Amino acid sequence: MNGVPISAFLALALILFCIGLYGALTKRNTIIVLISIELMLNAVNINLVTFSKFGMVPSITGQIFTVFVIAVAAAEVAVGIAILLSLYRNRRTVNTDEMNTLKN
Amino acid sequence: MNSYYLSLLVFSPLLGIVLLALMPKSNEKGLKMLGVLATLPATILALLAYFSYLGGKDLASFSEQVNWMRFSDFSAIHANLFTVKYELGIDGFSLLMIVLTSVLATLAAIASLHIKNEWKGYYMLFLLLEIGMLGVFTAQNLILFFIFFEITLIPMFFLIGKWGYFNKEKAAYSFLIYNGLGSAILLIVIMVLFAKTGTTNIETLKVLVNGGEGQTLAAMSESLKMGLFIALLIAFGVKLPIFPLHSWMLRVHVEAPPSIVMLHSGILLKIGAFGLIRFGMGIFPEQFETLAVLIAILGVINLLYGAFLAFIQTDFKMVLAYSSISHMGIVLIGLGASNEAGVQGAIFQVVSHGLISALLFFLVSVLYERVQTTQMNELGGFAKSMPIASGFLLAGAMASLGLPGMSGFVSEFMAFLGLFKEMPILAAIGALGIIMTAVYLLRAVLSITYGQANREYAGIRDLRSFEWAPVLVLIGLIILIGVYPAVLSQPLENIVLGIGG
Amino acid sequence: MENAWLIPLFPLLSFLFLLLFGKKLKEASAYVGILLTLASLVYSVIVLVGRLTNDTYKAEADWLQIGNLQLTVGFEVNQLNALMLVIVSLVSFLVHTYSKGYMHGDERFPVFYAYLGLFTFAMLGLVLSPNLLQTYIFWELVGVGSFLLIGFYFHKDSAKAAAKKAFIMTRIGDVGLLIGMILLFWQTGSFEYDEIFASVQAGEVSGTMITLTSILIFVGAVGKSGQFPLHTWLPDAMEGPTPVSALIHAATMVAAGVYLVATMFPVFAASETAMATVAIVGAVTAIFAATIGLTQTDIKRVLAYSTVSQLGYMMLALGAAGYVAGVFHLMTHAFFKALLFLAAGSVIHAVHTQDIEKMGGLWKRLKFTAPLFLIGTLAISGVPLLSGFFSKDEILIAAWANGNYVLFWLAVIAAFFTAFYMFRLFFMVFTGKPRSEYKNVHESPASMTGPMVVLGILAVISGYVNTPWFGTFLGDWLVEGNEALGHGHIEGPAWIMIVATLVSLAGIYLAYLMYMKRSLAQDWFTSRAPTVYSIVNNKYFIDEIYQSTIVYATKAVSLFLRFIELFLVEGLVKSVTGIVQGLGKLGAKLQNGQVQAYGTVAFVGLAVLMLIFALTGGYL
Repeated sequence: MNGVPISAFLALALILFCIGLYGALTKRNTIIVLISIELMLNAVNINLVTFSKFGMVPSITGQIFTVFVIAVAAAEVAVGIAILLSLYRNRRTVNTDEMNTLKN
Repeated sequence: MNSYYLSLLVFSPLLGIVLLALMPKSNEKGLKMLGVLATLPATILALLAYFSYLGGKDLASFSEQVNWMRFSDFSAIHANLFTVKYELGIDGFSLLMIVLTSVLATLAAIASLHIKNEWKGYYMLFLLLEIGMLGVFTAQNLILFFIFFEITLIPMFFLIGKWGYFNKEKAAYSFLIYNGLGSAILLIVIMVLFAKTGTTNIETLKVLVNGGEGQTLAAMSESLKMGLFIALLIAFGVKLPIFPLHSWMLRVHVEAPPSIVMLHSGILLKIGAFGLIRFGMGIFPEQFETLAVLIAILGVINLLYGAFLAFIQTDFKMVLAYSSISHMGIVLIGLGASNEAGVQGAIFQVVSHGLISALLFFLVSVLYERVQTTQMNELGGFAKSMPIASGFLLAGAMASLGLPGMSGFVSEFMAFLGLFKEMPILAAIGALGIIMTAVYLLRAVLSITYGQANREYAGIRDLRSFEWAPVLVLIGLIILIGVYPAVLSQPLENIVLGIGG
Repeated sequence: MENAWLIPLFPLLSFLFLLLFGKKLKEASAYVGILLTLASLVYSVIVLVGRLTNDTYKAEADWLQIGNLQLTVGFEVNQLNALMLVIVSLVSFLVHTYSKGYMHGDERFPVFYAYLGLFTFAMLGLVLSPNLLQTYIFWELVGVGSFLLIGFYFHKDSAKAAAKKAFIMTRIGDVGLLIGMILLFWQTGSFEYDEIFASVQAGEVSGTMITLTSILIFVGAVGKSGQFPLHTWLPDAMEGPTPVSALIHAATMVAAGVYLVATMFPVFAASETAMATVAIVGAVTAIFAATIGLTQTDIKRVLAYSTVSQLGYMMLALGAAGYVAGVFHLMTHAFFKALLFLAAGSVIHAVHTQDIEKMGGLWKRLKFTAPLFLIGTLAISGVPLLSGFFSKDEILIAAWANGNYVLFWLAVIAAFFTAFYMFRLFFMVFTGKPRSEYKNVHESPASMTGPMVVLGILAVISGYVNTPWFGTFLGDWLVEGNEALGHGHIEGPAWIMIVATLVSLAGIYLAYLMYMKRSLAQDWFTSRAPTVYSIVNNKYFIDEIYQSTIVYATKAVSLFLRFIELFLVEGLVKSVTGIVQGLGKLGAKLQNGQVQAYGTVAFVGLAVLMLIFALTGGYL
C-alpha cells in the first residue's frame, strides 16, 4: 500500500474531474452531461477518500462524506432523469443546444 | 469646540422634507409654501454666520468634529490614523459659498412656484439637493465631501428627469453618467490619498502631501502626485465643465426646469471650481503651479469656445448654457494666473456668475411660463409687453457681459489682471472673449426684448408679486458686489494671501 | 471742491428716482431731471471757479483689496476735469430742458429722462475719475447710457441694430483700453494718473511698453470717439432721439476719447510713435468723414459725419502736441455741435422728416431756429470771430508747428469740405422753395428754443477765452503747473489764419453757388466722376467690408466650432457610449441561455482568478 503515493490518487481524481468537466460543458446530449457530472462527483469522492487516508489528521470523516455524496448523486440522477423525461415529453429532444429557456 | 451650528445649518432642510412627507399630495398651495419656507432656516443661519464673521467672530469657532468611522485599530501608531471623522467647518471661501447656496436655494424655491405638477416629490428632492450642496462646502474631509457630492447627484437626476422638458430623460442620464464618471475618478483620488496618508482631513493633507511633518505612511512620488492632480482636474473639470467635457451640461441647461438650472448653474457648476481651488490648489500647489499654463490655456479655450458657439445658437437657453461655459473659462483663467489677483478673480467669478446665471434663468422661467418658448426667432418686442422683466433681462445681460458697477466686471477684471501679469499674450487672446460676450449676449437679449413682436401675445403680464423677490435680491446682490466688492474680498483676504503672489 | 463727488450723484438720483416713480410722474419727470442737472451745473460752476484760484484737489477711498494690492476710488479736480465738468453738466442741463418739448407726448417719457440721468451720471463720473480703472468703469457706463438711448425706439429694427452696433464697436475699443490699462498697471504698479505719469517720467517704463500701452489706450479712444476705422457706429447712432445725439454723440461721450487722450497726454507724449499714430488717425478721420459728409442727405447723418470729422481734428491736435488746441476745440465743438443738433432737432420737430432733399425754404417759417442754425454753421465752418474759428486755427498752427505738413494740408482740405457741406446743408434746409408739402410747420416751444439760444451765444463767444489777439487765458490756465502738457499757446505763422479763413469762405461760396444761387449745377461733380461719388456716398463701403470680413469671419469661426462640437466632442461622447454598448453586447452574447456556456464562463473565470492568486501569492 505504501507504494502508491498521494499524488497518484490526486492525479487520477484530477483527470477524472477534467474529463467530467469537459463532458459536462461540451456534450450536447443531456444524458451524457449527467453521466459527466457523475464522473466529476466520483473524482471528488476519490479526493475525499484520499485525504481521509493521507490528510494531516487521518480519520473516517472523509469516507463517510463519500457515502453521502454517492447517496446525493443517486438522488440527483433520479431527479435529473425525471426532469429529462418530462422535458423530452414536452420538447421531443434532450439536446442541450435547444434548451435556452434561461435566456427568455 | 463643537457648536453644532453648521450641522444645524446643513441639515435644516431635513425638517422640511419630514414635514413635506406628512402633507397630502394634492395640497398645492401648502406644499409650495412649505417648500419655500423650509429653505429659509439655512438662509438665515448662513447670513447670521456671515454677519457674525463681519462682526469679528472667528470662523474656526464654527468647526465641529465627531468620531465616525475607524478602519482597523492603528491607535498604537497614531490616534487618528485611518479614522474618518464627521467634521464640518468653514473658511472665508466656503462661507461665501454657503451664503450663496442658501440664498439661491431660497430664490430657486420661489422660482419653483412655476412647477406644474408633483410638488411634493419636487420639493422633497429639492431640499435634499440643498443639503448636499451645503454639505459639500462645509465638509472638512474628503470622504464627507464625497458623500455630500453624491447626495447632490441623485436628486438632481430625478429633478431633471421628471420635471424637465422634452428630452429630459436623455439629459438626466447624460448628467448622471458624466458626473458619475467624474465622481468615480474623484473617489479613486480620495482612496489613494487615504491609503497613502491614512487621513482624509483636508488641512492635514495639505501639510502631509507637501512633505510636512506628520504620519505619512508611504512616501508619494512626484509622478503620483501629478497623476492625482490630473485626475482631480478631470473629476472637477467634468463638473465645471472644461472643454471638451461639457456636453452634458448643455443638455441639463436646456432640458431641466429653469428653477433647477438656477441652482445647477449657480451652485453645482461651482463645486467644480470650489474643488479645484480647495483641493487642487490646496493639496497639490506645486503640481498646480506646473500646470498653470495648461489651465490658463484651457480657460481661454473655454472662454472663446463658449462665446463663439453662443453666438450662433437659436435657443436662448442654449445661449445661456454656452455663456456658462464661457464664463467658467474666466474662472480657469484666474486660477491659471495663480497669483493673488487671478485667484481672487476666480472666486469672485464663481460667486458672481452664480448670481447672474440664477437671475437670467429665473427670467427664462418667467418668460417660458408666459409664452412656452425660448426660441429667439419666435420672440421679440418684449420690452413693450413686459417692460420690467425686459429691463431686468437687459440688466442681467449687462452684468453677464461684465459691465462695471456689477459683479461680473470685478471678477472678469481681476482674472484678466492676474493673467496679464503672468501670460500677457494668452490674456490678450482671451480678451477677445470680452468682445464676443457682448456680441452674443446683446444679439440674444435684444432679439427677445427689442424689435417687433413676432406674434400677438395677448394678456401677457409683467412680473407678478412673488416674481419680484428673486429678481430684486439677485440684481441687488450683483450691484452690491459690483459697487462695493469688499463684501466678498474681506472674507477672502486670508485665503488669497496664502497663495504665492 | 471737497464735495465735487456730489456732482455726478445728482443725475444718479434723478435716474433712480425716475426709475422708481417715473410711471406716476409722467411728464413731470422732466422737472426732476432738469432740477437735478441744474444742481450739478451750479455745483460744477462753483468747482470751476474754485479751481481757478486753488490747486488740484484729489481725494481717494479704498475700493478693492487684492492680496497686497489696494485699488482705490476717488475724484480729482484739475483744470481739465473742472472744465469738462462744466461743459458736460451745461450741455446735459440744456438737453434736459430741450427734451421736455422735444419728447412731449412720448409714452416712455420718464424712461427717457431716467436714461439721460444715468448717462449724465456716468459722464460726470468719468470726468472726475482720478485713475484709469475708475475711468474705465465710467467709460463703460457711458457706453451703456448711449446704448440705451440709441435704442430708445426699441421697436424699430434699425434702432436695435444701431444700439447693438454702437455697443459692440465701442467695446472693441474698450478691450484695447482694458489691455493697455492692465499692462500699464503691471509696469507702473498703479492705476492712478499721477503715479503713472511720475513713473513714466522717471523712465521706469521701457519705450516700447509706453508705445504699446498708449496705442492700446488710444484704441479705446478710437472706439469711443468714432475715429477711423471704428467710426461706423456713430452715424448709425443717429437712430436715437435728437437731443440724445446732441448730448452724447456730439458734445460729451464721443469727446470722451479725446478727453482720455488729453488726460493721458504725458504718457502719449513720451512716445513719438504713439503721438504720430494719434495725429495720423485724427487727420485721416477728419478728411475721410468730411468727404462722406459731402454726399449725405439725412440732416442728422451729415452732422454725425461732421462730428466724426471734428473729433478727428481734436485727435490731430493732440497728436501734434497741441494739447491746448485739442481741449479748446473740444469745448467749442461741444457748444456749436450741440447747438446744431438741437436746431436740427427743432427742424425735424417742425417738418417730421430728416431728409434734406424734402426740406427747403424754412428760413421764414422757423424764425428762431434758422438764425441759430446759421450761427452754428458759421462756427463750425471756421468763419472768423466765431468760436470754431479760433479753435480750428489753434489746431492748424499746432499741426504746422509740429512739422506734419502733410497732415496740416489734409486738415486744411477737411476745413474746406466742412465749410462746404455745412453750408450745403444750411442752404438746402432753409433757402429756396419747399420741396415737399409741410403740414402745420411751427416754431418749437420755448423749452426747446431757450437752450438753443444759450448754446448759440456760447458758440459765438466761447472762442474768446483763448485767442491770439486777446490773450490765451484758457491755454495758460490748462497747462499751468504741468510742463508735460506743452505750452499754453503755440506760435505759428500768421498766414495760417488767413489760409484757414480763405478756405472756409471758399467752401461757403462754392456751396452758395451750387445750392443757393444754383449757377453751378449740383451734379457738376457727380456726373463727372460717378464712381468716386458712389464710393463716397456709400461711405467707402466700410460697413459692407466689415460685414463681409469680420462678421463673416466670426460666423465662420462659430460654425467651425459647431462642427467641432458636433463631430469631435459629440463624436467622442458617441464613441465612448459605443464602446460601452459594444462591451455590453459582448457580455449579452455570453448570456445565451445555455447552461453549458454559463458553466464554461464560470469555470474560466475561476481558473483566471486562481491563476492570478497563484502568481501574485495572494497579495495585490
